[in-house]
Amino acid sequence: MSAGDVTYSENQNGDDASGKLLYQLEQKLERIGERLNPILVKEVRQALKSRMFVIVFALMLIFGWAWSIFGVLLVLSPGVYYNPGGPTMLCGYFFVLAVPLIVAVPLMAFWSLAGERDDGTFELVSITSLTARQIVTGKLGSAIVQMIVFSSALSPCIAFTYLLRGIDIITVFWVLGWTVLISILLSFFAICFATISRSVMWQVFLSVVLVLAFLIAGFSWSSVVVQTLFYGSLPVETGEFWVMNLFVMMMYLSFCLLFTLAAAGKLSFPSDNRSTKIRYAMIIQQLLWVGWMIALALQERDPGVFLVFASCAGFYWLVMGALLSGESPQLSPRARRDLPQSFLGRMVGTWFNPGSGTGYIFAVTSFLGFILVTAFFEITIAVGDGINWSRSRGFDNRLMFAGLAWAYLTTYLGIGRLILLFLRRFYQLGIVASLLVQVILLVLGILLSASAQVLVNGFQNNDYTALQLGNWAWTLAEASDSRGRLPLEVPILIFASAGVVFFVNVCLSLPEIKAVREATPDRVIEEEKELHPERFTEKGGPANPWSDDPSPGSGAEKPSSPEG
Amino acid sequence: MNRPMIELRRVHRFFGDTRAVDDVSFEIPAGEVFGYIGPNGAGKTTSMRILATLDVPTYGDAFVDGFSVVNDPDRVRRRLGFMPDYYGTYANVNCTEYLDFFARAYGLIGRERAKSLKYVMDFTGLDGLAEKPIRGLSKGMKQRLCLGRAMIHDPSVLILDEPAAGLDPRARIELRRMIRSLASDGKAILISSHILTELDEMCDRVGILEQGTLLATGSVADMQDGMRATPQVGDPSVTEIHARVLNTGASLGHWLADRDGISHVVVDGEIVRFTYAGDRQAEAALLREMVLAEFPVVEFAARTKSLEDVFLHVTQGVVQ
Repeated sequence: MSAGDVTYSENQNGDDASGKLLYQLEQKLERIGERLNPILVKEVRQALKSRMFVIVFALMLIFGWAWSIFGVLLVLSPGVYYNPGGPTMLCGYFFVLAVPLIVAVPLMAFWSLAGERDDGTFELVSITSLTARQIVTGKLGSAIVQMIVFSSALSPCIAFTYLLRGIDIITVFWVLGWTVLISILLSFFAICFATISRSVMWQVFLSVVLVLAFLIAGFSWSSVVVQTLFYGSLPVETGEFWVMNLFVMMMYLSFCLLFTLAAAGKLSFPSDNRSTKIRYAMIIQQLLWVGWMIALALQERDPGVFLVFASCAGFYWLVMGALLSGESPQLSPRARRDLPQSFLGRMVGTWFNPGSGTGYIFAVTSFLGFILVTAFFEITIAVGDGINWSRSRGFDNRLMFAGLAWAYLTTYLGIGRLILLFLRRFYQLGIVASLLVQVILLVLGILLSASAQVLVNGFQNNDYTALQLGNWAWTLAEASDSRGRLPLEVPILIFASAGVVFFVNVCLSLPEIKAVREATPDRVIEEEKELHPERFTEKGGPANPWSDDPSPGSGAEKPSSPEG
Repeated sequence: MNRPMIELRRVHRFFGDTRAVDDVSFEIPAGEVFGYIGPNGAGKTTSMRILATLDVPTYGDAFVDGFSVVNDPDRVRRRLGFMPDYYGTYANVNCTEYLDFFARAYGLIGRERAKSLKYVMDFTGLDGLAEKPIRGLSKGMKQRLCLGRAMIHDPSVLILDEPAAGLDPRARIELRRMIRSLASDGKAILISSHILTELDEMCDRVGILEQGTLLATGSVADMQDGMRATPQVGDPSVTEIHARVLNTGASLGHWLADRDGISHVVVDGEIVRFTYAGDRQAEAALLREMVLAEFPVVEFAARTKSLEDVFLHVTQGVVQ
């Protein structure tokens, strides 16, 4: 490529010290600017010039000023010296800020990606050197910049509320901080949603769903804020308050990570490994969940904590399992290049490989692992407290509840996966279809059981009977209730069906489980040698304990031609 | 190693029962402009999208500089510039911002990016419109911008889907010049167009696609010769000849009508048109005989089969 002379910000260095400092600062900023995510740069350029942003920003300013005048008139009554006007003013500003942050910014993030997928510009971006993760984080970065702009515009007003009575700086930061964090999480959620479909009809439907979800989230958070500002105060002096904030923050971050990986996975090329990192994130979430459960159980000394956490974990693995078992059972040659190779690596890592079968087994065994760890810690805590754990209050119920929850999860996920495998012979179905099949199955499980009982017993007998075998909700409620009496045949049949379904699914997953690593093509190795010669050492040895594959280029790796 | 820059190896792409691309294979070396011709729905865009890593083949594979588009799309993308049949421009962005974004997206930083931007602006003639919002550009200027975007990272392979669509004659000539110039820099170029006369002048080789199947590949001249070689009267391969003689049109008409291989003689004053089933040597011999027979020949031209003739001859006009 021939080119003429370049004028690339070569400013002359000034003689004076301040000029030199400014020059250095400019150079540094330029270097930082070069490293910024290109999507972020482009999105900010576009967003700040967009009509929607200008309208929302102008409305926010108008309402902010209006509230400043109206609120001050309200607060600056003769009782201003002893009446707490701070919460009222802050509450008003919170509502003015909450609408753009909780509704407008996430919605703009959704339309930004959905619009690009619809008009084809996304395709042009996707074939650049940008990774799907960069595209997602760039979009999110742009949303955060907009949040900063909105928040900055109202910051003088919010600072003013601190001067009034009845409000402290921690409450101001807590309210605003969590509002921004909720906005970020909703933007993640919106970007994830935008990856679901390219069809305009679906996008309109999804945007309606999103607006409703944002409004619900906004109302929920607003009620918490109003409650905090007017009817109570933050218990900042107690340790529990900060521990609870830490817990929520950790789960928040883990969900942000999961949403980022999920959205990036949906946007990445079909032959990419879209699943392994998501499964790592799920394991991280499970570990966090277990850790917090144990911490809470130790502090509260209440075994009921286990039941609550197990219920949430069951629901979590049901949703994740439905999504994972909806993955394609075909493993691309590209994904095969990075499969674990050693015995240990294959034993541990196979369940992290993409695929419908491994996804099913991963979800089922993860939940089983959670139950086993929960049971172990409950026994350990009981023994530590000198309680005969086998006779401790409700232990049998909790154990039965957890066991049945696992069996139901195994059965329903397994049947859903089998249905999907069958349907895939005729149609191209993705993970959303898998989730839909699962929801239909769960609803059918309840409806069919209830219908069967009505048909057999009429409307007279409303007690739990063995006919409610498929009714997971009622069966689990009976199992967790210390007064509930489950017929003996119910758990036996549920466990038996779980065993059968699991066995059938494992048998059908064998091709995925037996998948082995494929050699990297010569041409790829050739280019890697050119780009990263340092990675190609003379000595061949295992790259890591999980792999018996010598480092690339050592000669022990069997190369294959592109046509292979 | 002298590997082709673009290679399609038995590529198939099915959408339900529709075979959009059906067992297509061809190669394009560096520095060649390959024209992709076919009626609407022939599978041109689908196979171009597969090469551009925007779609995956149902069977088969395609390679760019030896890298599989299915298994190494990231390596393919570094080498490939794609110009689709839509503009793909953003609102609220000017030409420089648009190209700057794509330069960043291809990982160009600092001086390298500035250099690329300048080169592309110069090459496409957009330097005077650098700060102009994209929505204010004409169709031709938008096409130039899109070509600029496709070549901002100096790719070795360019895939251009209908780049001349909607352009005025001057813009087409400039586009042709630009494409030839890029090919002379060693880039392999795959270009599709409905304007066959454009491809005729621009391409080193062409491939004719219909109903997802590649019917013929080769240089335009080879294809014309191939048509000429079929000596059947009534077949479009028979050469149409146009001769002009001073004052002896009617005599020449009679003279020609008695000769073998000549048919459809039409006399129009000094002009005589006829069809002749013979190769170039035979045409030369016929002209020599006409001169020896003392006909004052001032014009003698075989109407060359255009790419349009070749296209019409090879395809059946079936769309799916």
